[in-house]
Amino acid sequence: MKLDGTNTLAAPVDTVWKMINDPDALRRCTPGLKELKEIGPDSYEATLNIGIAAVKGTYSGTLKITDKQAPRHYKIALEGTGGAGFMRGEGIVDLEAQGDQTVLRWSGDIQIGGLIAGVGQRMLGGVGKMLIGQFFKCLEQSLEASGETGGV
Amino acid sequence: MSTRYLGARVRRNEDPVLLKGRGLFVDDVRLPGMAHAAVLRSPHAHARIRRIDTRRARAARGVLAVYVHADLGALGRPLPKLIPHPALVHHKTQYALAADTVRYVGEAVAFVVAESRYRAEDALDRIDVEYEPLPPVATLEGAVAADAPLVHEDIGTNICAHYTQRVGSVEDAFAGAPHRFRERFVIDRGASCPMETRGVVAAWDPQAGQLAVWDSTQAPIPIRNGLAAMFGLAEQDVRVVAPDVGGGFGPKVMMFYPEEVLVPFAAMRVGRPVKWIEDRREHFVATNHEREQIHDAEVAVDAAGRILGVRTEFLYDSGAYIPYGLIVPIVAGTTLPGPYRIPNYHCEFRAVFTNKTTVSPYRGAGRPHGVFVMERLLDRVARELGLDRVEVRRRNLIQPDEFPYDVGLIYQDNAPLRYDSGNYPACMERALELIGYAGWPARQRAWRAEGRFAGLGVACYVEGTGIGPYEGSRITVEPSGRVFVATGVGTQGQGHLTSFAQIAADALGVAPRDVSVQTGDTAVFGWGTGTFASRAATVAGNAVAAAARAVREKAQRVAATLLEAPAEEIELDGGKLYVRGVPGRAVSLGEVAAAANPLRFAMPAEWEGPGLEAIRYFAPSQGAFSSGVHACVVEVDAETGMLTFHQYVVVHDCGRVINPMIVEGQIQGGVAQGLGGAFWEKLAYDGAAQPLSTTFMDYLLPTATDVPALEIAHIETRSPLNPLGVKGAGEAGVIPVAALVAQAVEDALEPFGVRITEAPLSPNRLRQLIAEARRIP
Amino acid sequence: MKPAAFEYFAPRTLGEAVGLLNKHADQAKVLAGGQSLVPLMNMRLARPGIIVDINRLTTLDYIVATPAALRIGALTRQRAVEISPLVAERCPLLRDALRLVGHVQIRNRGTIGGSIAHADPAAELCAVLVALGGAVTAQGPRGPRAIAAADLFVTYLTTSLDPREVLTEIRFPTLPPGAGWSWMEIARRHGDFALAGVGVVLAVRAGVIADVRIGLTGVGPTPVRASEAERLLTGRAPSEALWADAAGAVRGAIEPDGDIHASAEYRTHVSGVLAQRALREALTRVREAA
Repeated sequence: MKLDGTNTLAAPVDTVWKMINDPDALRRCTPGLKELKEIGPDSYEATLNIGIAAVKGTYSGTLKITDKQAPRHYKIALEGTGGAGFMRGEGIVDLEAQGDQTVLRWSGDIQIGGLIAGVGQRMLGGVGKMLIGQFFKCLEQSLEASGETGGV
Repeated sequence: MSTRYLGARVRRNEDPVLLKGRGLFVDDVRLPGMAHAAVLRSPHAHARIRRIDTRRARAARGVLAVYVHADLGALGRPLPKLIPHPALVHHKTQYALAADTVRYVGEAVAFVVAESRYRAEDALDRIDVEYEPLPPVATLEGAVAADAPLVHEDIGTNICAHYTQRVGSVEDAFAGAPHRFRERFVIDRGASCPMETRGVVAAWDPQAGQLAVWDSTQAPIPIRNGLAAMFGLAEQDVRVVAPDVGGGFGPKVMMFYPEEVLVPFAAMRVGRPVKWIEDRREHFVATNHEREQIHDAEVAVDAAGRILGVRTEFLYDSGAYIPYGLIVPIVAGTTLPGPYRIPNYHCEFRAVFTNKTTVSPYRGAGRPHGVFVMERLLDRVARELGLDRVEVRRRNLIQPDEFPYDVGLIYQDNAPLRYDSGNYPACMERALELIGYAGWPARQRAWRAEGRFAGLGVACYVEGTGIGPYEGSRITVEPSGRVFVATGVGTQGQGHLTSFAQIAADALGVAPRDVSVQTGDTAVFGWGTGTFASRAATVAGNAVAAAARAVREKAQRVAATLLEAPAEEIELDGGKLYVRGVPGRAVSLGEVAAAANPLRFAMPAEWEGPGLEAIRYFAPSQGAFSSGVHACVVEVDAETGMLTFHQYVVVHDCGRVINPMIVEGQIQGGVAQGLGGAFWEKLAYDGAAQPLSTTFMDYLLPTATDVPALEIAHIETRSPLNPLGVKGAGEAGVIPVAALVAQAVEDALEPFGVRITEAPLSPNRLRQLIAEARRIP
Repeated sequence: MKPAAFEYFAPRTLGEAVGLLNKHADQAKVLAGGQSLVPLMNMRLARPGIIVDINRLTTLDYIVATPAALRIGALTRQRAVEISPLVAERCPLLRDALRLVGHVQIRNRGTIGGSIAHADPAAELCAVLVALGGAVTAQGPRGPRAIAAADLFVTYLTTSLDPREVLTEIRFPTLPPGAGWSWMEIARRHGDFALAGVGVVLAVRAGVIADVRIGLTGVGPTPVRASEAERLLTGRAPSEALWADAAGAVRGAIEPDGDIHASAEYRTHVSGVLAQRALREALTRVREAA
């Protein structure tokens, strides 16, 4: 499943860069993330309880940030397995300054396998996009809340 | 001998028990102390197994055992190869539990035995498996691409067989041909979806050293023989029972599915009977699929549309393993010629591994593909040459005086493909009459004037049936007068308990309801190969007929002694035996059976042993060839792509019909499955070979409101190859349906210029084709 | 396909039910007809630790007509609503849509409240509620509250109900006198989830469209009210050309997902076709009623 999108965040590039590398922000904003334990630089053990409505599965696995080109680009990879199957997502994030704001472009390849893929094909794409949207909305709100916006 | 019941619409012996819910299916088997199993299945289409940790599972409440490959010992070898073939150079079979690599989503990785299925599934959640995903082969064409990942690394390729069959010289035929037309046909994956999923129960008696297995299989005897060999037991110490089976359709004639080995293994280890019942979601990944082929085909014709040569090169998707061998592609290639004269033919296929569920025959077993290719090519010829499509067919049909007709190929039974009998023009004309072909153009025009798009299709086929190697039957009459017919073929809904009873009833002068047919229990009859390939009526039926004739003759000899008359003058009727012309002085069949088993005094030498009992076998030298024509009228809603069937006609020749009601049931069911494969049923996968349609929400079986009622006509050209003159009828309904629907829909959408070269279709796809054709009617 | 272990409660009063939900919050699921929940549990896609079975709350099983609306208790079985003469008389759109919800066997157990709360993106009832501008009442720990249809459906399988609330009543506005209606959908087989579905209500006065509602299902994460198309139609005289314009506006209002059965393009195209056909049928009924 290939998804992509663009979000404009009301903060300068450096602030956004810091945030998307901050494990606390990741903990707060990644939908369903229950645990994020650092096991190395940019490498975490992750447990997620993710899904929609009653349809939720627990997945445990890893989250890794690679190909860091501060403050504009990185790759984030999340993979986990659980009773309902497995999920693997790889995203490329690019930041571009636009005045006081940042344009964040992301593109991802998400693979869902196992039980949930065989039963949920009708909604997986839509739900996936929605959860990713939730992630960025949360980032936006975190930026506003922290007051670290660039301008008026 | 009377033929009162042969050909009669006798009500089925099976039905009273089934309709009252008193059938015994494998899930009805309940044994004291029975434990329940569940299978941990791979969620990856292709992965290395780095580590399996079963400790938490084994400690879970109610769990009796957890097995992985390392626990299997001698059973850890690859499962048996069922049908070898010289062209099948990489005859790969799977392990009962994956060793270090999983090759399809659903492959068995671990086996749990617990007090209940609930507890067993709880334990599955507690097995930790570390997979290292590998790139999967997700498509047929992807499998033969230069840089394709390898499903089996050790063989360096994904092509496991490459086989060619030829008649004459297509090179010469095509070189000189006035017209050549080439097409690419794509047929997608499907599954048979019997109402009953698979299931196995096993019980081990350590004192007697005997294994009892109940298995929802089409082939209990080979399973018994295989299990005996595998577990080092005498064949007579293993009993396999295929009880009532809720549909087989092909995928239940495998040897072995992992669970057929794991359940007996676990029962022996755990010391309790073990039951495993496949749930529906498992069924979609763990029971074999079929149908996926891509054909690159070409036909050469003269100016009158007569076939000079046909050639096809195709890819056959075998899935991750190929235990069943090359039956499906061989059958596809030998069914393609159909009822037509094809002087030059070249059929070449490559069987290919992909990271999907294993493939083995499903009703039709390649015949639908052969028919799809041939019928679509003929329709192309008709269109290109401006000929009526029926006329093109007429010009190429083999005529009734050309039998036996040697096609020039070798069939799936390794015998020559020689059509024994048939009347293809008669089937064709009857179908045209029933569908109203003569009046069709006017009807279609009237519809079009209303802005409605309807089309008519006519499709022909020849079906190889009744192949060997053999089947057998033992018939016994007891002193009560009851007749018992035992045979090795199993029954999954074909009505054998009735049709075989009819055959015996005619010979023995009793009513079919007084004949008890026993199938599917190796302890009752231990010789046979199974129910597949439309062979039971022909092969087992003739064995029943031979045994019945032998019992009849014995009964006449014994009665002759009792009635003091020559045996040739003894008649059998109404359960009695009497001298011809003297019905008043009779003995009952039961009395004859009792008399044939004296407690004292010498027995006449001409009786050749006690009792009214005989065992006979029938081993055909080659198959018998059924044939038929389907025709339909279908309307397409051009804005939505939805279909409505207005009429569906089947003209069917399966030689002598034992029970027309049963044959019609077979045809109706076959057509329903055929329509599924034409318009509804498609196993969808993503780019990583993940199955996406593993429930009936997404794998769409046509329902009673989708399948039209059929008009069925029978034509009988008896087979000269067996005493009863019968031919098989099991698969006929499904064979030409995809071809027929493609033709009818193309006819309906002719104003748009739509061309159809694939199956299944769908409303979505039809809208796409209409949009791409870009012609406004 | 056996569910994971769960604790089961069957409260006898609404207060008891809400109390249980309040106590167990995120762990609890309400069980009504079970036609959606139980398969999810059997497949272990849902593993609620607590099941609150509300089938004993029989006071929630009713169909009552007020001048403006049909008030239907959340526990009322879909089949009862489908065959109710009151519904046939006051809100035949609801009856026609219900006939296409699954199969009779499912409708015998499934409840109106259950379908609404489950919020399947291809559900007929949710689209009818949205098209008619209905509302629901829910009871939570702090008492009852009303939620308008426009505020109820949030995304796939998600409503704005709080996990501690029980849906108690659904309110379907009565069709205006003399109005025509139509429900049309495309499904692969009878009873399947709609690839796209359209519900229309049409009132004509003095030769022009006075009131029109268009609701769609299967074309997004929630039901869609085609307000632009409604605006385009209001005050205009019905005609084939107008229906074609409306179809265009409907297509412009939706961004469906694609899946293995139908692409986004197909659903968009077919939504327009269905809107045209439904408007045509609704107008026929207007004329029949006159």
